[in-house]
Amino acid sequence: MTTTTISSTTEIRDWLRERVAFYLERPIEEIDSAARLVEYGLDSLYALTLCGDIEDEFDITVPPTLAWDFPSVNAIAEQLHDQISEQRLADR
Amino acid sequence: MRYGPYAAAARLDERLGDPQDDGRLFSYARCAALDEGEEFPLEICRELDFLGLPRAYVPVEYGGTLLGYDEALQLMRVVARRDLTVAIGHGKTFLGAVSVWTSGDAEQARRLGAEIAGGTIVSWGLTERDHGSDLLAGEVRAVPGPDGSGYRLSGEKWLINNATRGHQLCVLARTDTSGGPRGFSILLVDRRTLDPASHRPLPAVALHGIRGADISGVAFTDAAVPATALVGTEGGGLEIVLKSLQLTRTLCASLSLGAADQALGLAVDYANERHNFGRPLVDLPQTRRLLTESYADLLLAEAVTLVAGRAINALTGELSVSSAITKYFVPTLVDRMFPRLAKVLGSRALLVGDTYRHGRFQKVQRDHRIVGIFDGSTMVNLHSLVNQFPALVRGYRRGRVDLAGLQAAATLEEPLGAFDRTRLELVSRPGSSPVQALPLAVEELCELAEAGEVGTVVGTLATELRAATDRLIEQMAGHRPTALDVPAEVFALAESYAACFAAAAAIQLWLRNRKAFGSDELRHSGLQNSELRHSELWYSGLWLEAALTRALALVDPTLRTELSGEVFDRLAVPLFAQHASGRLLSLLPYPGEEESA
Repeated sequence: MTTTTISSTTEIRDWLRERVAFYLERPIEEIDSAARLVEYGLDSLYALTLCGDIEDEFDITVPPTLAWDFPSVNAIAEQLHDQISEQRLADR
Repeated sequence: MRYGPYAAAARLDERLGDPQDDGRLFSYARCAALDEGEEFPLEICRELDFLGLPRAYVPVEYGGTLLGYDEALQLMRVVARRDLTVAIGHGKTFLGAVSVWTSGDAEQARRLGAEIAGGTIVSWGLTERDHGSDLLAGEVRAVPGPDGSGYRLSGEKWLINNATRGHQLCVLARTDTSGGPRGFSILLVDRRTLDPASHRPLPAVALHGIRGADISGVAFTDAAVPATALVGTEGGGLEIVLKSLQLTRTLCASLSLGAADQALGLAVDYANERHNFGRPLVDLPQTRRLLTESYADLLLAEAVTLVAGRAINALTGELSVSSAITKYFVPTLVDRMFPRLAKVLGSRALLVGDTYRHGRFQKVQRDHRIVGIFDGSTMVNLHSLVNQFPALVRGYRRGRVDLAGLQAAATLEEPLGAFDRTRLELVSRPGSSPVQALPLAVEELCELAEAGEVGTVVGTLATELRAATDRLIEQMAGHRPTALDVPAEVFALAESYAACFAAAAAIQLWLRNRKAFGSDELRHSGLQNSELRHSELWYSGLWLEAALTRALALVDPTLRTELSGEVFDRLAVPLFAQHASGRLLSLLPYPGEEESA
C-alpha cells in the first residue's frame, strides 16, 4: 500500500487476520484478533517471517520480532498503526 | 598471493608438530588410544591453551585476537584435521561464550574474555532431555531470588558438551512461567561460585563417535545466581540464541573440512601404497574417480565455507540464510564422501586399532556424524530456509544484491571490516546476495569464456546453473507458505537452493580471486599467457569447473549433463601434488614449514 492515506487500525487488523488465517490454513472467522497467536499454533520462528509481508504491504520497516513483542492481531495492528502514522508525519 | 588466515593456521600446525610422529603430544596414535579408552584429551587441550588458542575465541574488543571469523575457522580446521574430539572439546568454549559476544554488555564480555584467555572453560546449556531442538519447551527455570535480587535456577540441561569440565555455563532458562518467545533468558552461570549442593553433573553418556568427549548434563536445584549473570535483557534468550547460532553454524564447517581432509588423505595414501595384481590401486580409473570426485566435493565445501566465513563480517544481515545453508550443506556433503572413500579403502575402512593408520578412517567417519546434528540439525536448518522462501524469491526476482558486501565476502585479499553485532538479523530481509547476483556473475563468466580466459565448458555449466536456478525459484514461489507441517518435497527445494548458493559462492570466489591466484600459478609453472594449461586449479578455472559440475547435479538431480567427467581426471594432478607435499588439501596454497615461520 503505497498510497498516502493512512490505513485505519481496523483495516490493518483485517489484513493481518487474513494473513494469519492464510498461514494457518483456517477460515478467517476462526481468527480472534484478541487471542495470542501462539494459541493457534503459530510457531515463534514462523512468526518472524510475518515481517516480510508487513513490510511489503505497508512500505515500512519492522523488526522481525514484532509478533513476539505484540503477540495478538490487535496488538500488532495498533503498533503498526502508530508506526505508520509517525512515519507519514515524519515524511511530510 | 597468500591467504592470511592460512598463515596463522600453518603456524599453529607447525607448533603442534607432525601428527604422524607417535612421540608428539597431539599425534594420531594418541588420539586413537584416547578414543579407544573413552578418555577426554586433557593434555592436548592444555597444549592448545598453552599455544594461546583460547584467545582466538575472544573478539579483539574483549581482549582476544578474534577479528575476522575466517581466521577462527581455519584455526579450528587445523585441530579438526587431527582429531574431531579435540576440536569439539576445545572449540566448545567459543560456543559457550558466543551469547556474550553477540548480546552481553561490554564489561561482562571483557571479564569473560580475560577468563577464557586464562584457560576458563565455558559451555552452552541449551537443550533438555525431553525437548531436543524445541527450545521453547524448555523446563529449566530461573525465578527471582528470595530477597528480590538475582535468580534461583532449577532443572536439568542435558547433552551438554563439557558438562563436567565447564567452569562457566551459558544457560537458556525460562524466566516467565508462561514461556513463549520472550519467556526465556540467558544466564552466564559461574559454577565455581555456586553452592555445591545446588548443582551436580549427570552421568556421562556413551557415545558412538567423539567417544572421549565430555558430554552429559547438569542438574540445578534452587541454585542462587547473581543478577549480573543475565546476558542481554530478560526475555531476550531465544533471540540471543538464534543470533549466536548464526555464528556457530557457520563455524561448524571447519569441523567438516578437517574431517574431509583426514578421510581423503587416508584414501589417497592407501590408493598409492596398495598394489592389486601388480598395479597400484591409484592407477585404476574407478579408484581415481572416487578420489577426485571427493576432492571436488571438498573444494566445493571449502568454497562455500570461505565465502560464508567472510560473510559473518561482510554480509552480517544475511547470516540467517548463509549460516543455515552452510550448516546443512557442508556436513552433508562430507558425510556422503565417507562411503565413497570407503570403497577405495575396502576392509581398511572398517578396521579398528593399529591395523591401518590407527583405524583413523572409521574413527573420523564416526566422529563426524555428530556435526550434522548439533547446533541445529539438517532438518532444523532446511526448515529455517523454507520459512525464508518468500524473501529469497522476492530477492532473486528483484535482483537485489549488496554489491559491496558480496565483493568483500568473496575477495580474499580485501581486509575484512570489523564484525558489527548490531547488524545481526533473525531473518534476512534482502534474501541472499550470492544467489541473487548469479545472473550477473553468469554473464561475467560467459564473457570470460568467450574471450578464452576460461574453458567454454565453464560458460556452459554456468548457463545451465542459471536456468536451473530460475526454475527452482519458480518452484519455491509456488510453495504456499504455511505455518503448519511443511510437505517433504519442499525440503528438497531447500536442499536445491543450498546447492545454488554453493555454486554461486564458488563462482564469486573464482571471479574475485582468479587473477591473484592464477598469476601465481603462471609464475610458478613458467607458462606463457597463451597456453591455457589444464591442471592449474585457478588459472584454467579447473576447480570451478569441477565444483559447478558437482553442484549442478545437486541443484537439479534430474539434469543429465552430457559431460564426460573428464574434468575429474584433470583434478588428479593438483590432488596428488598437494597430498604428496603433505599440505592441506585446498583451493588455496597452504604455506609449507619454511614459509609459515
